[in-house]
Amino acid sequence: MSEWRVALTDVTVSEEDVQAVLECLASGWLTMGPRTVAFEQALSDYVGSAHAVTVSSGTAALHLACLAAGIGPGDEVIVPAFTFVASAAAPRYVGAEPVLCDVRSPLDFNIDPDDVARRITPRTKAVIAVHFCGYAADVHALRALCDAHGLQLIEDCAQAIGARLPGGEQRVGTVGELGAFSFFSKKQLCVGEGGMVATDDEALAMRVRLLRSHALTSSTWDRHRGHDPVYDITDIGFNFRLDEPRAALGLSRIGRLEDSIDARRATVRAYRERLSGLSGLELPFDDDAVERSSHFAFPVLLADRETRDRFRAQLKDDGIQTTWYPALHSFTEYRGSTPSGGLPQALASAERHCALPLSSTMSEDEVDIVAEAVTGFLS
Amino acid sequence: MATATSFPELPLFDLRLEPQDLDAVAETLRSGWLTLGPRTAAFEEAFAEQLGARHAIALSSCTAALHLGYLAAGVGPGDEVIVPAFTFAATAAAVLYCGATPVFAEISSREVPSIDPQDVERLITSRTKAVCAVHYAGYAAPVDQLKVLCDSHDIALIEDVAHAPSATLKGRKLGTWGQSGAFSFFSNKVLSVGEGGLLCTDDDDVAAFVRSRRSHAMTSGTWDRHSGRTDTYDVVALGFNYRLDEPRAALLLSRLARLEREIARRRELTIRYRELLSSVEGIIVPFSGDDIAGSSCYVIPIMLERDGTQGEVSAELRERGIQTSIFYPAIHRFSAYRERFPTLSLPVTELAARTELTLPFYPHMTHEDQDRVVTALHEVVRP
Repeated sequence: MSEWRVALTDVTVSEEDVQAVLECLASGWLTMGPRTVAFEQALSDYVGSAHAVTVSSGTAALHLACLAAGIGPGDEVIVPAFTFVASAAAPRYVGAEPVLCDVRSPLDFNIDPDDVARRITPRTKAVIAVHFCGYAADVHALRALCDAHGLQLIEDCAQAIGARLPGGEQRVGTVGELGAFSFFSKKQLCVGEGGMVATDDEALAMRVRLLRSHALTSSTWDRHRGHDPVYDITDIGFNFRLDEPRAALGLSRIGRLEDSIDARRATVRAYRERLSGLSGLELPFDDDAVERSSHFAFPVLLADRETRDRFRAQLKDDGIQTTWYPALHSFTEYRGSTPSGGLPQALASAERHCALPLSSTMSEDEVDIVAEAVTGFLS
Repeated sequence: MATATSFPELPLFDLRLEPQDLDAVAETLRSGWLTLGPRTAAFEEAFAEQLGARHAIALSSCTAALHLGYLAAGVGPGDEVIVPAFTFAATAAAVLYCGATPVFAEISSREVPSIDPQDVERLITSRTKAVCAVHYAGYAAPVDQLKVLCDSHDIALIEDVAHAPSATLKGRKLGTWGQSGAFSFFSNKVLSVGEGGLLCTDDDDVAAFVRSRRSHAMTSGTWDRHSGRTDTYDVVALGFNYRLDEPRAALLLSRLARLEREIARRRELTIRYRELLSSVEGIIVPFSGDDIAGSSCYVIPIMLERDGTQGEVSAELRERGIQTSIFYPAIHRFSAYRERFPTLSLPVTELAARTELTLPFYPHMTHEDQDRVVTALHEVVRP
């Protein structure tokens, strides 16, 4: 489809996946029903949370997580500036103000708990910890900080399903009160558009379930199965439902998720072997972080923005697609949100990084092509 | 006899897809491109053309379409939007998403349960920013009158076309009378796909606004970057993720080709239903036979003449294997809205909501099944 020699990412849908969707379509039942229930069970088993509630997107997951956490007008929510824009949009949907904080460094570009601590005010209600590019943020430190200040912790796991925390098997999304996940088409577990909220708290799970479907006290499926046709609406909810074909696709794919993440990790290891020690290039995170990451993206660091831009242009000429994430405070919409003193590490991370092609089906030849282009640029 | 959880023999709706629909989805999945891309663009173009609208923007749901339609009309905190209460809650909830206040208008009658233009006129204040007309059950609300009224007050007319794709008033497609029209592709709808929606408009600025806000107000999309058109993006406003995805766009595109044929079948069956229902004493069948040609014939609503019998008639039909629903409970009577509008009284809407039942209906419904529903009504409705 694309002209790229090596595209940024590649989604492979297996025949088994296709059949699962077709079977669902042939059944004629397309709105939340038994497949959604089964997918949610598989998700909660995989993530290690007591509850998993599927929603229409990662953005919707963050939005409902904010509502369930009781965030509202007048509240502040601390959000790292190096993330996708949905992390900051979610508090705004509920009338709260995102307060941007810094990340640790370009070599460890997740939210910096020390900077979070500096930005806590009496209005602070929650912290959104983003596990960026698949690498786990330091949620243990943030948990302690939030507990000490009576704050809620929401984990933005949109890019990090399956990533593990240091020193054990615990996965991301289970330390905060709520974890928000994405099944967008480029993600490790993708269905097109989709998302999920994970939580151990039954009351929070019930609230997310209620709000995802207009706070209706019964669903179309319940009524189809013979429940009373009369329902109440107990809150102002949304239509953030996932549908059955996407649940069927997710359910089919989740069985291969761990293998798919392992394949991504193997590619990252191959990249790192080829690229480590090159003059003018730095590789974020260490081997331990690589082992625990679920590898949404593979970012490398160049000396500065100008070099990074030339680097990307060269790779593009070589037929290699790359991308990068701007820092939130460099967007027109968030320019006014820059705190005094700036957010130097987030800015440096954004300006210096370049994400190289990464997918679960990438071949050694493709890694070679990219590695040679990178080496060529640097020499 | 049906138990508490059993599937009805005659369900409210029954969706059947064709082999070519499944092929279209399978082909999309195998392509590996699942987010907004060529299939969404093709569906939008085909839908716009069939509707005769300048723009069609595919979205994640009709709720999302209403939200963006209101925002595009400039609805914000302090504003009022006049909506009917005899509709699904999304019509009003989307007003609240914008920080504005829904102002509930009456319907004309149980015979014509569409928003009453005279009541709308009475409710217009200096804070009114928009009016939302719902084309209930697939039948045109009086958008001709509402358009004149809205134009004279310089307020936006938004059409909630969730029930009424390809329906018309005076030969003009519903959704094209107002500033924008919000469509639903929810699984029980005339053109269904699971979850999905769309906003149509002839206004270039509204279209650009909605396209921007459906994907986080980013100045370029994943497809643009994949196809090498652009390298990076800016974020220029507070946007949302209201995107449809490619498998659903492929399914919609495949089904759109049969839409007119399916609606024609719905009309035939509706005419037959109405003939049969005319013999049932104690019910009102809303709208008239003359309205069918312009309707998408989404559902078959009836109103029980005797107030207070809705629950028992529904339960007795259920015992006969016939599923019914209520389209709709009055929005202002739900707990969440009573808190906000504790003293609001809309007698016509409330009576309609207390006496309405929606009967089983789908394009492949057999005459025998229709007969069975009507026979059951003869047995259980007490005039």
